[in-house]
Amino acid sequence: MIISRVIPVLLLRDKGLVKTVKFKESTYVGDPINAVRIFNEKEVDELIFLDIDASRKNENPPFELIKNIASECFMPLCFGGGINSIEHIREIIKCGVEKISINSYAVKEPSFIKKTADIFGSSTIVVSIDVKKNIFGKYSIYINGGKDNTGKDPVEFARLAEQMGAGELLVNSIDMDGTMQGYDIQLIQRISGSISIPLIALGGAGSVEHMKQTVNDGGASAVAAGSFFVFHGKRRAVLISYPAIKEIKSIFDN
Amino acid sequence: MDTSDPDITFDENGYCNHCTRALAEKSTLWFPNEEGEKKLKAIVDKIKIQRKGNDYDCIIGLSGGVDSSFLAYKAVQYGLKPLVVHVDCGWNSELAVKNIENIVKYLNLELHTYVVNWEEMKDLQLAFFRSNVANQDIPQDHAIFAALYKFAVKNNVSYVLNGSNFATESILPVSWGYNALDYRQIKGIYKAFGNKKMKTYPHVTFFQRYVYFTFIKKMRVLKMLNYLPYDKEKAIKIMSDELGWRYYGGKHHESRFTKFFQAHFLPAKFGYDKRRSHLSSLIVSGFMTREQALKEMKKEIYSPQELEDDIQYIAKKLDITPEELKNIISNGKNKTYKDYPNNEQLFSVGINIRNALRKLTNK
Repeated sequence: MIISRVIPVLLLRDKGLVKTVKFKESTYVGDPINAVRIFNEKEVDELIFLDIDASRKNENPPFELIKNIASECFMPLCFGGGINSIEHIREIIKCGVEKISINSYAVKEPSFIKKTADIFGSSTIVVSIDVKKNIFGKYSIYINGGKDNTGKDPVEFARLAEQMGAGELLVNSIDMDGTMQGYDIQLIQRISGSISIPLIALGGAGSVEHMKQTVNDGGASAVAAGSFFVFHGKRRAVLISYPAIKEIKSIFDN
Repeated sequence: MDTSDPDITFDENGYCNHCTRALAEKSTLWFPNEEGEKKLKAIVDKIKIQRKGNDYDCIIGLSGGVDSSFLAYKAVQYGLKPLVVHVDCGWNSELAVKNIENIVKYLNLELHTYVVNWEEMKDLQLAFFRSNVANQDIPQDHAIFAALYKFAVKNNVSYVLNGSNFATESILPVSWGYNALDYRQIKGIYKAFGNKKMKTYPHVTFFQRYVYFTFIKKMRVLKMLNYLPYDKEKAIKIMSDELGWRYYGGKHHESRFTKFFQAHFLPAKFGYDKRRSHLSSLIVSGFMTREQALKEMKKEIYSPQELEDDIQYIAKKLDITPEELKNIISNGKNKTYKDYPNNEQLFSVGINIRNALRKLTNK
């Protein structure tokens, strides 16, 4: 079975799309609805939208905007950001979203993963973690938009998330975010080796080559990226693009 | 052209004022011949000398449409090193972004994008709709011009290559498409109907346009296509073959909004069909006969399903109900640019002064 999943991740801030570097320096890249429309026509596999302020500001997810995005989106859509209750999830699914990504609250309250998986099914629940390496090379999970260090080990937490019923794990490297220098293969490898649910690698993609590496060497089952799909060239000019089908196939052909 | 232009006049032979003017100006504005080749080469050589040692020598605004794409193609062919700037107003189609991607890739050009803040753009476009004026393209056109010029000034590039051209655009009645550079008009309409503050919307004032850019910063606009035997059909063929470029059907339909505006809003609300001025331009330049153009005018401009889809989409983007949008078109009392603050007189004086000064300074 070859499921080629190459997933654009779009970050929401103040109703607009932004792209960050190492979770900082956010650059405005435009209107989410038009971006979805362009990705539709590019026949993208699926899309992930993350509200990067909701958890930090302790806000509700922007339901109205989610509804507008979902109604425009032809492909499977995953939404994350600020989700900390069953009600949130119900409301978001009502907006037309297929998958829910839980980050900060899942790390704080792992039993929430089980609760949601029991109600909505594992295939709906994506647990997402933001990971940063300290100067000694030790990985740790950060929450609230990369603001707070929890000191938790990503490999241990990944196992826990799987036990709790997470359907997939989205692993984002804060250090590589927006750099377009390649994924943190070591991080992806460690986690993918300890779980059996699909792992979506995120953070650092700058080319199709990087994607191949993280699948072949890192053991990722799917690849996600932000900058790679919205920036072009050395001036990082905003321009939405998506690899041709042939290139996508090459990522997953060993 | 016909009386759908409220200001049209006809002479004793039945020629309208647009046609007479365009035909009279043709030989002074468009050089699809050896003379053009020579003139263009002289300008290009001058630019190359001036900008020797720089990474790029001019700036091109690229929308992904035929005119600007072909302009980039030709500039490279003439040995110029353009920096390509794209201004994203929130309405790009997939075709437009793919065309831009292909052009910069195949021609090996550097791209810079200016993204206009959509929340501000949206509010300004809504204000324009609620003002019931004809030219709904002003918010986009002005932002594109302003962002492009400011970028050029900031980077000390004095030549801006512009895709506007006589061959396909010689005729456009003022009432159909009022001057997008008149910031006083934009401010006036926004004050009356806007709900927010425009903090980042790129704009240029009259003074900036005619004094600062032209005389202090010595900005020059080169309408390169006017020195070439620019034939749109051939241009499309060349670019499809060599650059993987794709056509989107209809002039300026590379922007979703512009398509709706030109193919529905203007004809339905004002009775202005921009195909008429566009095809008239093509007749004047000799690319089409009047009979061919009349046949073209009979074609369906929008399929009902496509129109309904676009209305739904545009309303969603503007955060209004489709009913409000439809209501503006069918019930809003039509206004003209004259009903709102404008600098029309200043602009005509400004252009005269600029031309006079240019003659004096021989530039």
